[in-house]
Amino acid sequence: MTMLRVRDIYVRFGGVVALDRVSIDLNRGEILGLIGPNGAGKTTLFNCISGVVQPDAGRIFFDGRSLRRVPPHERARRGIARTFQNLQLWKSMTLLENLAVPMDALGRRSTIADALGNPLSRFAERATMERARAILHVLDLDAHANSLAGDLPAGIQRRVEIARALAMRPKLILLDEPAAGLDAGETKRLADLLNAVRERFHVSMLLVDHDMSLVMRVCDYMYVLDFGKILAQGRPAEIRSDRKVIAAYLGEPNPELPAAPDGAVQPVITSADRKDGTPALPTGAPLLGVKGLAAGYGALEVIRDVNLVVRPAEIVACIGANGAGKTTTLRAISGIVKPRAGRVFFGGRDITGRTPERIAGMGLAHIPEGRGLFPRMSVEDTLLLASDNTGQRVDPSVAYEVFPRLKQRRWQAVGTLSGGEQQMVALARALLARPRLVMVDEMSQGLAPTIVRQLFEMLSVLRSKGIAVLLVEQFVESALEVADRAYIFEHGTAGHEAPAAELRADRKLISGSYLGSAVDEPAAIPSEANGNGHRVDVELMEVLSLKVPPSVKRAIEERATREGRSAGAIALELLEGVKH
Amino acid sequence: MSELAAYTVIGLGLGAIFALAALGIVLIYRATGVLNFAHGAMGMFSTFVAWQVFYGWVHPSWMPTWALTAVAVLVGLAFAVVLGLVLELAVFQWVRTRPPVTKAVITIGVLLALQSAASLIWKNNQYHLPIYLAPQTWTREVAGVPIGANTIVIVVVAIGLAFGLAAFLQFTRLGRAMRAVSDDPVSASLWAVPVGKVGAVSWMLGSLIAAVAGILITPFINFDTTSLTLIIIDALAAALIGGLVSLPLTVLGGFLLGLLETYPTIWIQSLGFPRLVALLVIIAVLIVRAPRGMPVATR
Amino acid sequence: MILGHPVRLAVAVAAFLMLALIPAGFDVGLKFDAALSVVWAFGILSIVLLTGYVGQVSLCQATFAGVGAYAAGMMFNTFHAGYVVGIVVGVVAAFALGVLVGLPALRLRGITLAIVTLAIALVFDKYVFQDHIFDWFSGGSGGWRVDGANLLGLPADSSSHLLAGYEVLLALFVLVALLMVNLHQSGAGRRFRAIRDSELAASTMGVNLTRYKLLAFGLSAGIAGLGGSFYPLIAGSVSPQPFWVFTSLQLSAIAVLMGVRYVPAAALGGFFMAFVPDILTRYGHGTFMGHSYDISYDWFSLALGALLIVQLILLPDGVWGDLHGHVAKAMAAVRVHTQRRVRVA
Repeated sequence: MTMLRVRDIYVRFGGVVALDRVSIDLNRGEILGLIGPNGAGKTTLFNCISGVVQPDAGRIFFDGRSLRRVPPHERARRGIARTFQNLQLWKSMTLLENLAVPMDALGRRSTIADALGNPLSRFAERATMERARAILHVLDLDAHANSLAGDLPAGIQRRVEIARALAMRPKLILLDEPAAGLDAGETKRLADLLNAVRERFHVSMLLVDHDMSLVMRVCDYMYVLDFGKILAQGRPAEIRSDRKVIAAYLGEPNPELPAAPDGAVQPVITSADRKDGTPALPTGAPLLGVKGLAAGYGALEVIRDVNLVVRPAEIVACIGANGAGKTTTLRAISGIVKPRAGRVFFGGRDITGRTPERIAGMGLAHIPEGRGLFPRMSVEDTLLLASDNTGQRVDPSVAYEVFPRLKQRRWQAVGTLSGGEQQMVALARALLARPRLVMVDEMSQGLAPTIVRQLFEMLSVLRSKGIAVLLVEQFVESALEVADRAYIFEHGTAGHEAPAAELRADRKLISGSYLGSAVDEPAAIPSEANGNGHRVDVELMEVLSLKVPPSVKRAIEERATREGRSAGAIALELLEGVKH
Repeated sequence: MSELAAYTVIGLGLGAIFALAALGIVLIYRATGVLNFAHGAMGMFSTFVAWQVFYGWVHPSWMPTWALTAVAVLVGLAFAVVLGLVLELAVFQWVRTRPPVTKAVITIGVLLALQSAASLIWKNNQYHLPIYLAPQTWTREVAGVPIGANTIVIVVVAIGLAFGLAAFLQFTRLGRAMRAVSDDPVSASLWAVPVGKVGAVSWMLGSLIAAVAGILITPFINFDTTSLTLIIIDALAAALIGGLVSLPLTVLGGFLLGLLETYPTIWIQSLGFPRLVALLVIIAVLIVRAPRGMPVATR
Repeated sequence: MILGHPVRLAVAVAAFLMLALIPAGFDVGLKFDAALSVVWAFGILSIVLLTGYVGQVSLCQATFAGVGAYAAGMMFNTFHAGYVVGIVVGVVAAFALGVLVGLPALRLRGITLAIVTLAIALVFDKYVFQDHIFDWFSGGSGGWRVDGANLLGLPADSSSHLLAGYEVLLALFVLVALLMVNLHQSGAGRRFRAIRDSELAASTMGVNLTRYKLLAFGLSAGIAGLGGSFYPLIAGSVSPQPFWVFTSLQLSAIAVLMGVRYVPAAALGGFFMAFVPDILTRYGHGTFMGHSYDISYDWFSLALGALLIVQLILLPDGVWGDLHGHVAKAMAAVRVHTQRRVRVA
């Protein structure tokens, strides 16, 4: 039976279409996966379902009722709970209190009576806390029941998010990247937990995550979202082998170059460039050295023990799934994020903990995701700014020779340029500021393939001028064509290092890191008699039964002995009856 | 009709002051993330320093009035620059990573301190002679309403200063750095722009502009410690019209607010009514500019 | 550290008895200060609720108190109602205005809300409390005079029975403070705090944001208005000056300075705001080592501003908060220590 029906949802933010007539269906008892590259619109879809964003068009039905004009708190009461990618626990409240808020929302509590502390209120309070404890117990969180949520490590906070969602007694939980920031072991435990939660609490789930090992392990069915549209749907095994999906994640393989396993591919661009004798794996003193680097945001530790080396005039690529820690590594190197452990050396000097402007002044140019430009400044001014603070003044016309297109646009505000032109401005800066190392994050995001090719050619030009490049790229194929070496990131650390040529040959290794190769097929869901494919859990019924008046409880128990079934099964039947 | 023209001139004069004060607020907010509630108080204090030089101290009798005015204004402006620098160095550089609300509350502390220091020195709620930059005796009748030279001076200076500021931001190296920081401070630091230095310069420049606005407006208001401090609300309203971001829109917003507050005085003789106009403008702007959907969806 | 119900009540009663008896020995000026300190304690308490519990910014809390004061004065003078009626109308009027001010808060947060509420404070200060169109409410340029008022038969006139008004007000303060502490731990308090910590999570976890934000603004304004409605009783008259925009700013500053999340900070702050400037004006002048000095009211405000700046840089949780934190830490250490010894034994 379809529990959640999303029909032709259309959302626009300014000029950007975030969701373009997306429709999905979720059946009762199902874990539905939703994957897609960054900016594909997954979180926006969540926001539409939980009522935080109003779609411009389209309808959403939950349990057969339209959710049009239903405010978020009412949707929550109807049984839609959610977790948040960026951890939205109430940080100054204890775990018990965190769970009590959604529980209270289900009942009617009077503010005045609460303030007066009347006996009825206090009795209800005790019952609430009992149930909160029970849920914490099931999720193995009892040890932290009275800790403040903000004081706990991120891994535990993620579990509390799930516990809090369960406290809402939901029929559907929306899970927004529950595995973000978790290492491999924690991710595995999370998968087990989600399966257990489904079994015991009889909830359906809609799961967004970049960690394919998790999605493949727990989902019954999947949708792939790309640029706000449904790209594909099917069972996990089908999705993993879907050519469109692989292309969306890894970029189109070069059509002229068959994905040959023999590694005999000679990339057009690099061959021309290697004539100047730059060795494929240059030796000598490293330009950039990173040792045991760890960094994160708040309670979240995103990278740990990252080690990497970039030598002069070398292009190094960082590849790996979203959330694997590539971007944070670059941010920690350039000083935007303060490293928590480890050292960063640049040009023979220790730059750990220095301010970004000082590091940039030493000749390390970081082009962040989103290009890091100044939308209201003109092209000319932006290019002037490039060499303003780096010692010698360079005339912007140098950049116009390389990018003639920018010359026509020189008085235009950068924010009005196309994505490709903006990326040209960002790269032109690298020419003018004369850095020794350029770090580029997701250069090709949102760009047409022909432009992407041009930009990658530019990287080779930079190398020929003696500038080293550290590259983070989702489109692995293009990245490996120009790179000399690559680091593969997994679960917040640079796990594997190899020459780019080797990786080009061994596509399986890459696609594994993106789409989760070494994952066993999800076990079939055991289905039993109660009609929605789930076993009844006695412990859960204990949790539920705290709400049931003693007389009803006794009646259920009597009926259970009479019919020879478990009390939980009968209670669940009754509950289901009430829900419909 | 002609009456309307005269009121337009007065409104533009008032609007020019609002625009100037708002420019300083936007400058500081964008470059340092501090919404400066003490902006009016800073302008007030510097204005009183100029007043002190002009009226308070004995000066050589050979000095002509214009020279004295010039000295007083220059001392006031110099004080403003120092005040801005001191605030950045002593207070705001230490709280750069705190949430915006905390920084705003700190500026309320600055407001209270400056305000009460000024009351201590120059006495609260007391009439002070204004500083006239132009001869007070020169007036021209515009359709039966006398327009004084000082009104013309403030409109000219305000517009001139707005253009001057625009030119500074547009054509100098420091101006470029300030625009970059105001667009995106994190990216600016990646471009080796010295963010700390830009912050200090913004505070000095913002304080300077506030002082100019304060000195210019003295002939037109009840010149005491509180009314200058409270110009902050009109300035904030103008700044909100520019979304706390856009300098041209802020200037336009200042003039618009000046006119909106002046026209009703044709019919309504009330000192408090302009405050209501400012409030209504603020609410209207925030409703128009409010993001779609639930407020919680915004960052 | 949560005091149990009976303990909390006992502490409150003891505090009341002590505070109610002390001013008996004061002169008239200090008696007035004592009463005034409770009025401002209500003002700061309203900020504890709104900002400390719910995380909403407001810079017009003195305006709510002023509305309470003027409404009470109006009821007493224009309608010749008993003063208790005046207080009720004052609280209701402040509550209504609070809900109205809360409406923009449904869409705004942080600094934009601060701007709007500051503008509201200014409108009331310069327009509603002072303009002739509102003379029916503000009593004209002279304000309202309140003479010979009583509270349900209890004479509470400012000239002869100042302490009676003070004691009733203090009792009300202790009661409201107690209710606030209870509220903090209760379901509604949790919902308020949930809104403070994350509005997004609160709304998607079943908390009706519209309802609870408006409720918070209304309750907060009502608390401020309750204190304010006693002002005419203890001062004998109302004028715009005590409720002008700078009082709102000072209330916010003191609330933050004392610890905006803690109820006792309100009592501390009220005392600070009423007594310190008066004592400074009284005794703060004379000669010291040959130099004459004069530490008047303005020195108080100057010190307040400076203290606020220093505190926000160094002690983000306020005087009471950090004090309380140290005490709690020490208590916990002692508890662990004794437990260990018990276990060993």
